[in-house]
Amino acid sequence: MAEKPPPKPISPQDWESLVEDFQHGDSRREKWRSLSPSVVELALSSILKKEFPFKIPLIIFLEEFSDLLFPPNSLSSLLERLVETLRVLVQSPIDGIHVTYALKEQMMVSMTSILISTNAVESVEARLTESVVELLLVVINRPNHGPDRHARAIACECLRELEKAYPCLLSDIAGHLWSLCQSERTHASQSYILLFTTVIHSIVNRKLNVSVLNTSVPLVPFNIPQWVSGSEKEGLLELNYKELRRAMAFLLEWPQVLTPCGMMVFMGMIMPLAVDLDLQPSMLKVQFFWMIYSFDPLLYHVVLIMYSRFSEAFNDQETEIVGRLLLFSLELQQYLVFRLLSVHWLMGFLNGLMVNGEDAEKKKSVVETGFRLYPSVFDPLSLKTLKLDLLAFCSVCIDSLKPQTVSDMIVGDGNSVVKLFQDGLVSVSAFKWMPPWSTETAVAFHTFHKFLIGASSHSDDDPSTTTALMESAIFNHLKGMLVDLILEFQRLVPVIVAFIDRLLGCQKHLWLGERLLQTIDANLHPRVVIDYRLVSYFPIFDRIAENQTIPPRRLLELLTKFMAFLVEKHGPGTGVKSWSRGSKVLGICRTMLTHHQSSRLFLGLSRLLAFTCLYFPDLEVRDHARIYLRMLICVPGMKLRGMLNLGEQLLGISPSSHSGSFFSAPSPRHYPDVKKSKNISSYIHLERMTPLLVKQSWSLSLLPLGVGSGKPDFSGGFKDTEATTDERDLDANIQFQTISEDERIDKPEAPLYVMDSKVSEILEILRRHFSCIPDFKHMPGLKVNIPCYLRFESETFNHVWGGESSKNGLHGVDALPAIYATVLNFSSLAQYGSIPSCHIPFLLGQPPMSGYLPGETDSLDIIAKHDDSGEEEIYKAPVMIELEPREPTPGVVDVFIETNGEDGQIITGQLQSIMVGIEDLFLKAIAPPDIREDVLPDYYSNLFNALWDACGTTSNTGRETFPLKNGKGFAAVNGTRSVKLLEIPTDSLIHATERYLIPFVVSVSGERLVNMVKDRGIITDIIWKDDDSGLLLDSITSVTSQDTTPLYLTFVDNEDEQESRLNISKRSMGCIHVLIFLPPKFHLLFQMEVSDASTLVRIRTDHWPCLAYIDDYLEALFLS
Amino acid sequence: MAGDCSIRAIWILNNLDAVVFSRRFPVVEKRWRAACQSENESSEDGAVKYTVFSSLPSDSELAAAFSDRKMREGSVRGFGIRVSQSKEGSDSWVDDPITRHIVGFYINREEEGETNLMWPLALHIKGPYCILILPLVEPRHVKAYTRLCKRSDCGNAVTVDESLSSLLLDLPSITGAFMVAHAIGDIVTGDVADPEVVVSQSPSVGGLLDSLTGSIGISGISRAKPVAAPVASSAPSGATAIGALAPDVPKSGSRLLDKDALRSFISSAMPFGTPLDLSYSNIFSIKANGFSSLDIPPQDLKQPAWKPYLYKGKQRLLFTIHETLHAAMYDRDEIPDSLSVSGQINCRAELEGLPDVSFPLTGVSTSKIETLSFHPCAQVPERNVDKQTLMFSPPLGNFVLMRYQATCGLGPPVKGFYQLSMVSEDEGAFLFKLRLMEGYKSPLTMEFCNLTMPFPRRRILSLDGTPSIGTVSNAEHSVEWKIITSGRGLSGKSIEASFPGTVRFAPLQTQRSTSFSSVHEGATDDDSDNEPENANNMVNIEEFLEEKMNKDLPPVDLEEPFSWLAYNYAKASFKIVGASLSGISIDPKSVSIYPTVKAPVEISSQVTSGDYILWNTLGKCPSAVNAKV
Repeated sequence: MAEKPPPKPISPQDWESLVEDFQHGDSRREKWRSLSPSVVELALSSILKKEFPFKIPLIIFLEEFSDLLFPPNSLSSLLERLVETLRVLVQSPIDGIHVTYALKEQMMVSMTSILISTNAVESVEARLTESVVELLLVVINRPNHGPDRHARAIACECLRELEKAYPCLLSDIAGHLWSLCQSERTHASQSYILLFTTVIHSIVNRKLNVSVLNTSVPLVPFNIPQWVSGSEKEGLLELNYKELRRAMAFLLEWPQVLTPCGMMVFMGMIMPLAVDLDLQPSMLKVQFFWMIYSFDPLLYHVVLIMYSRFSEAFNDQETEIVGRLLLFSLELQQYLVFRLLSVHWLMGFLNGLMVNGEDAEKKKSVVETGFRLYPSVFDPLSLKTLKLDLLAFCSVCIDSLKPQTVSDMIVGDGNSVVKLFQDGLVSVSAFKWMPPWSTETAVAFHTFHKFLIGASSHSDDDPSTTTALMESAIFNHLKGMLVDLILEFQRLVPVIVAFIDRLLGCQKHLWLGERLLQTIDANLHPRVVIDYRLVSYFPIFDRIAENQTIPPRRLLELLTKFMAFLVEKHGPGTGVKSWSRGSKVLGICRTMLTHHQSSRLFLGLSRLLAFTCLYFPDLEVRDHARIYLRMLICVPGMKLRGMLNLGEQLLGISPSSHSGSFFSAPSPRHYPDVKKSKNISSYIHLERMTPLLVKQSWSLSLLPLGVGSGKPDFSGGFKDTEATTDERDLDANIQFQTISEDERIDKPEAPLYVMDSKVSEILEILRRHFSCIPDFKHMPGLKVNIPCYLRFESETFNHVWGGESSKNGLHGVDALPAIYATVLNFSSLAQYGSIPSCHIPFLLGQPPMSGYLPGETDSLDIIAKHDDSGEEEIYKAPVMIELEPREPTPGVVDVFIETNGEDGQIITGQLQSIMVGIEDLFLKAIAPPDIREDVLPDYYSNLFNALWDACGTTSNTGRETFPLKNGKGFAAVNGTRSVKLLEIPTDSLIHATERYLIPFVVSVSGERLVNMVKDRGIITDIIWKDDDSGLLLDSITSVTSQDTTPLYLTFVDNEDEQESRLNISKRSMGCIHVLIFLPPKFHLLFQMEVSDASTLVRIRTDHWPCLAYIDDYLEALFLS
Repeated sequence: MAGDCSIRAIWILNNLDAVVFSRRFPVVEKRWRAACQSENESSEDGAVKYTVFSSLPSDSELAAAFSDRKMREGSVRGFGIRVSQSKEGSDSWVDDPITRHIVGFYINREEEGETNLMWPLALHIKGPYCILILPLVEPRHVKAYTRLCKRSDCGNAVTVDESLSSLLLDLPSITGAFMVAHAIGDIVTGDVADPEVVVSQSPSVGGLLDSLTGSIGISGISRAKPVAAPVASSAPSGATAIGALAPDVPKSGSRLLDKDALRSFISSAMPFGTPLDLSYSNIFSIKANGFSSLDIPPQDLKQPAWKPYLYKGKQRLLFTIHETLHAAMYDRDEIPDSLSVSGQINCRAELEGLPDVSFPLTGVSTSKIETLSFHPCAQVPERNVDKQTLMFSPPLGNFVLMRYQATCGLGPPVKGFYQLSMVSEDEGAFLFKLRLMEGYKSPLTMEFCNLTMPFPRRRILSLDGTPSIGTVSNAEHSVEWKIITSGRGLSGKSIEASFPGTVRFAPLQTQRSTSFSSVHEGATDDDSDNEPENANNMVNIEEFLEEKMNKDLPPVDLEEPFSWLAYNYAKASFKIVGASLSGISIDPKSVSIYPTVKAPVEISSQVTSGDYILWNTLGKCPSAVNAKV
């Protein structure tokens, strides 16, 4: 140590502070280490000074810190000086001022203590110890000498300590000691007796064959016998029993001269001696049993120890001992701690009795005395506690002793344990109305616990069965009592919750806590009053919600009722109250979500949450309820629990604060990882539910159409006229016009034409039809839905994103990665309007093909939830792409994804695009809302005819405009015709039609065909025309209206198919008429003339570009 | 060594948690280390290697551990039973009230791991001091306790092999440590009073020193005058229990520790750490007087260690029967009144030599004495004998010869009822109707009788009403009715006393004392939520008031019988002389001394009130069911 050594202590004050430094420890002690000459040397010289008032404390100081002050290297010399000092002090005459007996005594004591603690006998020359022993022997060798009697007593104690430290040290001179002991008559005799007893004790203990009567070895000079330091075993020698028993008999004569403390020391040696010397234990009993009537706790305890050693000798005294212990605890004059101790002794005593004894009757009678120990009013609470423990203990003991046949426990004077419990509890019954933190409450619940767990211990091999405990009267009483307490004293709820928590936290008694919760759940709900005070039960509801052994149905019902109550009571003054209560209810819902399988909760909880979403007055609560509801529906159990439990512990969720903490949970901020997101389209797939018939690869040529603007693009070779142009009959292009507000005033709504009734009928039908078509420029247009699935491959996903759940050793569904809050954005170059994005809250990854075994784990909830759609469905999220086409053209929809991985990574990227085919745009024509269901087929049939006519090349309706729905826009029909011959047999045609075109078939004509189709029973609700008139009618219609050319002439126009014309018409079995509506307002009509080997499809449309795709479509449809 | 008691160390801390005195016993410590070593050696081959904290802490380490425990356990003594704040590994986790007395410290908590528990420490709080005694136990006991306080389950069942009870039964050293702790406590506070013995000439006579020195006191020994309450201080004394909160923190005091007296007591009482004699009067007499050649030992007998001096002078024999009457008066049909007597016979035998004194105890069988226990000097008579003869060899000075608990042979000396009804939030109407000394005949004399109504949580503004007898005065928090003033004793007749009146209080201030609500947080939940409804639902003013008062009712210590603050009651204090209430008595003529000497025998008796409580008949009251055996 570099520090300068402190100055040498000289004055008493210096020494005092030095002593304090040593006692304080740490650095304050350390600094004195370097003192030179050493502290001991300085101290000894101070002690030898004549006038030094701090001598005794200094000696004690040397003793107390001897292990520090006497280092081994200088031990010998220091001890030598010490012994010298002792000799000087002991031999100097008493002057009453500087040299007192107290000083001499202290020096002897401390010297002895230092010798022992430094183990001087072995570490330095034995001569030092011998000289000290000699000095002490000289002191004690003056029995009955008056003035120094107390010093002699102290010297005896010093010798005794040495003898204890080095057994048999004094055995050679035992004879001298005995005679000194016999002759000493002053109060110091206790020390002589104890010294002699100690010597005898170590002789017997070491089985040393020495004579305790022999005084041949002189007292001084003293030599350490070789067996003290020597390692040789003397134990083989025979004890001199006769002499030793004589010595014992002498010692047993004098118990009454000992102080209680002395008696304790004495008995501590006498008891093993009695065993070793084969003394009758009953002799000890006669000699010492009286001590149990003393009010000294030490003597009491000595008797108890004696009993535990020689219980057979006290065979009939158990009742008396127990009785005495009981009374001891009643003695108001005793210090409280001894009264408490006595109850403990009693329990320990009875425990020993229960474990060891055999006689059940005796045990019973002894234990029953314990029932006398009821708490009394003025007993301190700690004593009441222990007395109640004792009652519980005794009742358990009696219970274990009772014959197996007795059903209920009978104790004492016929009282049941329940009565015992109730009576005992009266002393702390104030817990019912006192605040929950009161000590009475703590004591009462402590007692509940003791009575409840009663006989069952925590050891694994405990045989007590749970059923026995469950059926016990006390358990049944207690659980009833707890329910009553909860109902009557709501302030106790937190205490009861803590009580149940304590049981729940214990592996062995978990089931007890659960059973209590179950009882509360079963009994509380019917009895509880639904009002604002229900909130005070929430802590217990929270526990019930947490517990999986309790079906959540009842609680959910109650909470739903409570929510209804809150909604009902809501008024201007209850805003915050509603919010706080509502949030708390949701807190419990959340607890349920985190602890139960969703399927158990689903019905009740979704009802509760839905109710809350709809009716709860507070917005935040509604919001949270909605989120929970969404989660409940979308997210499977384990993931849900993981989400809800983010960063929180399960227990101790404070209901009111949870929602905030969840939604604003500080999670590490993640930025989209561009690199990782690159190839996501290879493992995240958005796929059409029904594949397209036509792989429209060439439709890409249409892409420039209307890119990003409302203006038509003429570059593509299509002439899509601007709506405002008036050149209606410029070509066969469809035209639609929008008439601006001012123009409309000038223009008549429907231009006047002269026409026959047939035309007007057609016009009538068309007007009616068009008036049902919404005009997308002024109102939401018609929507086309393309159903798709989103799915992703777990393996690849985990590979890229390192899904954590795969590492956690979870199995089954829980091991799969998931993506959260997925947003799909769509864009298209085709004129599909704006496509709304799609939100998928949760999606599980597809398991690797081999690994997953469905139903293996707790995916029960998931299966239950999706039982109608098959398990595979849980890995696919349905996505509906909603198009609002401006043009009925196929196209490509680009898909962009933005989603979150489990660790919160943001995943963005483009997925593979979705093709939109022409068939996606097929819709059924809109039926006017006022039309009756049964005439609908007729309507469609008429509409077909009208449109067929209107789309004819020389239609009379060509100049007609038809107002669209809401009257702002108009449409005109400019038809185009086409024809397609399909060389397929009738069967396949009908089959394909039934499969793909069923909604659009409006009529079937021709007897053979009708019979054929009708029998299959798939196409229904259409017009059936048994004769060929359908075909004829069509011809006639067209003829009568405008075109008088015979039917076959029409085909002549179409040169490609000229050669087959006759065949077809001849072998025609009939016609199928198909009416397809193409949004936003166009039509596609098929008249399929069916014959055995081929079918001629006549096509008419008012949107000629679509013909470009129809050919491929029909081929794909029928010929593939 | 079972059945022995050795002390490893003693510490005394003041109310600032600083060690003011410490004493270590290296000889005992050496034994402890040896035991630890052999324990480790024996368990080495075993599966579990387990060590115990094997060295003594320095004073600063101990003080740190002391405050650490205080923090952990909420107070110096601790929670005692397991509460929600209890932590695993701490004393209250054991869930036993005795852990408020037998405590464990974690020394250097951060540095070492599991092995730093120091147990058992006997904790005794006296005056401003906390006395801690560490007795020697075996390492296996410490391990057993460690298992108890670190168990992870819900707490001990009552019947198990390893329980605290069995442990305590096995450890007389803990009992011894408490004896030492109490002896030291008396010394550090100077509270070393002898049992009171009353003689007719002077009110009381002194103890051993007086018998040695006449009436001249010896300076240098701090010795208090015999105080009025001679019953051991563990008896619930009304003065501390009533009214004020009795926190279990040491009371502040400015008295400096008399280290020299303490040091010399320890050196004599337990020179090597093993107590030999804890009688401070004997030890101080020896220290102060020493022995001279005139002190001659008896010829044939051994002089007992508890009687270092023999009396010389005029011989006489004095007995005082002192009884304390505890009563809970309910005046209700469903709860019977309870009345119990705890008594003791104090004795002072100024007899030369080592004589035996014997006398028959009369009235033992008739007075339903529940328990009798005796001074170690007494030869115990056979039980269940109608006429018990007690023989004893008296020590010097005043001593308690025997103690007993009994039921009251006569009726209650103060009988009647106390009714208090709150007519408004701040005003109460009360009525006393009492009958004093009913059925009490001469020579029983009631020297004085006071009745106190404490209102510790209300401030009294005014008091109206006149009693039929006696005088009334009120302090800030209590009303005192002096029914019989000293000097006008009541003897041979009974009187009636009534006192109707009203008491007006200052408005109730609902201050929430944070000291306990912070400790017991979590227990108070949602007051703001429930309050308005409670107010609406309250049927009457009393219930409302009760609810309001209970809200800030602090928890009491486990040493209290119940929360005094929660009840309305009147406490009677009185003194009755002339005879015992239990019926126990000593006939002076039948007292015999062997070897026979002529010595006058004087007997006196007095009865004082202990907890003599009249509960408000209209309010709540604590009660208990009595054992039916």
